[in-house]
Amino acid sequence: MTDIAIGAAGLSKAFGAWKRTMRARGHVDMRLRRGARPATTAPQRTTGLSQLDFRLPVGRICALVGPNGAGKSTLLALAAGLLRPSEGTVSVLGTTPAAARERLAYVAQDKPLHPHLTVAATLRLGRELNPRRWDHAVAERIVAEGELDPDAKIRTLSGGQRTRVALALALGKRPELLLLDEPMADLDPLARHQLTGTLMADAAEHGTTVVMSSHVVAELEGSCDHLLLLGAGRIRLAGPLEDLLAAHRLVTGRAKDSLAPHTVVESRTTGRQLTALIRPEGPTTPGWQATEPTLEELVLAHLRAPDAPALTLDDAQEAAV
Amino acid sequence: MTTLTTTPIPTGHTPPRPGGLLRVVLRLHRTALVLWGLALLAATAGLMWLGALADEAERGNSACSTPPTDGLMSCAAVHAITADETYSTGIAFVTACLAWLMFPVAAWAGGALIGRELENGTARLAWTQSVTPTRWLTAKLAVPAALLTAGTTAVVLLGVWARGEDNPNLVGDWYYPDVFVGTGPTAVAYVLAGLALGALAGMLFGRALPAAGAALAGSLFLHNLLEAHRGDLWSTVTRDKSGWEIPRSAFQVSATQTRVTLHPQSHFWPIQYVESGILLAVAGMAVAGAFWALRRRTI
Repeated sequence: MTDIAIGAAGLSKAFGAWKRTMRARGHVDMRLRRGARPATTAPQRTTGLSQLDFRLPVGRICALVGPNGAGKSTLLALAAGLLRPSEGTVSVLGTTPAAARERLAYVAQDKPLHPHLTVAATLRLGRELNPRRWDHAVAERIVAEGELDPDAKIRTLSGGQRTRVALALALGKRPELLLLDEPMADLDPLARHQLTGTLMADAAEHGTTVVMSSHVVAELEGSCDHLLLLGAGRIRLAGPLEDLLAAHRLVTGRAKDSLAPHTVVESRTTGRQLTALIRPEGPTTPGWQATEPTLEELVLAHLRAPDAPALTLDDAQEAAV
Repeated sequence: MTTLTTTPIPTGHTPPRPGGLLRVVLRLHRTALVLWGLALLAATAGLMWLGALADEAERGNSACSTPPTDGLMSCAAVHAITADETYSTGIAFVTACLAWLMFPVAAWAGGALIGRELENGTARLAWTQSVTPTRWLTAKLAVPAALLTAGTTAVVLLGVWARGEDNPNLVGDWYYPDVFVGTGPTAVAYVLAGLALGALAGMLFGRALPAAGAALAGSLFLHNLLEAHRGDLWSTVTRDKSGWEIPRSAFQVSATQTRVTLHPQSHFWPIQYVESGILLAVAGMAVAGAFWALRRRTI
């Protein structure tokens, strides 16, 4: 299937010596011992994944959401072909991540760049290493928009400016799949807005599939049309954003009312009033106030209720309904 | 289902030109490249000068008599010549540099070439461009290997020329550890083994400082091990001591009251070949180990 940008089947990743213990416990949550982080920062806490099954169609802008340590970075690194799955498979653009290397771009969380190269030399490095795909004009434009001096050394740049260079390197590659790990974390609101705009315009123009991880949901609202919510290495929610939102209702009723037969994600009682996020299994009780949740409400409810059942909506399922 | 136009996928299976990757490796390690160039330049200039000094040094080391007789200079005149000391010191210095070159190379390969790139994530940056990890490591090893081989070979040849008549009083005996390593193909083999051990340590540790330390430790071990067992690398000659004075050119391995076990100077080349072979085998295994560690690390 070539219209699937990322497909995972029973995808699991465990790390290091804890592997067996953790597998016995049924979940994986540990430190990545050989993390790709500068020694000056705290060791990157990377969580394993267990038994992921999902399909992301081509052309989507997918938000990869989850609490810290949910496995977002691990999933992106697996899709980028930087890690080998412990179990299961991940396919990218209809082939293996290694075979799709030329057609995907990946920006790691810490935006690794060579500190002793200048901005211009970094972009030339992109051109040299991607001889068949490189679009120098795109890369230069993104750098120029940030008013970066091409002769400035990478080590003199701020975190946000480094992000811009890393994104320029990724977009200059003209990828079909763009994997971004916490791309906007270091950017000021203006630069974030502007770079998101550049990214989305570029993705729309070329039909690029984008997977963007974040734990700040507001960062993703409005630009994404697909959602992947991870929690403790498992999928909590997966599917087209609109369908996921439509499958949930935020209801307000009296505390003594029963929520059956609906699937309750999270419910809270304040005095005599009950507020709940449910997946309706039929008409909601008359008299209840029911609204469609926002992305933030949907995500927060699932984060607050780690035991709520998972929900995966595929395009295929959507077609079958 | 979404239908859309994506950027055309290159369909040809022609591998990308290797030039780009090689240029990137040279660009990323420009400081090391410049240092190596300067070292070669200095060694060349120094050896040319020492080579020109060789005849004068020979005179300063010749036999003398007081008062001067036929064919022998006066000892005062010979002592006045200081070129022999300068020459000896210079040759010994260059030879020692050649013999110990393995150590900085190993530390650099473990630290700057591989370890640092894995530590700060720039290796992953390369692997998510259109470069497979295997090609990345191949280029990372091939470029320095070629430059180190060419440079070291040139300095060894120039050094052999500058040693002139190979007078052991001036340039040391062939079996001195430094002299042995610095005057034959083992010099190159040591450097390549250092590079390979550095690459292996870098891939195993994934961090610059531990990798540099481990590479240095491994190199020291290998260097000392081979130095200690150099006499065992080729079959020795055993002779009766009585009525025979052991020549200076003999590499004495062991001796009893009556018998001496030694290597005559003709064993120089066999021992050079065996030692180089061992070093290249170690280098080959270290490179294989580095690729194994790379594959374990990524896909």
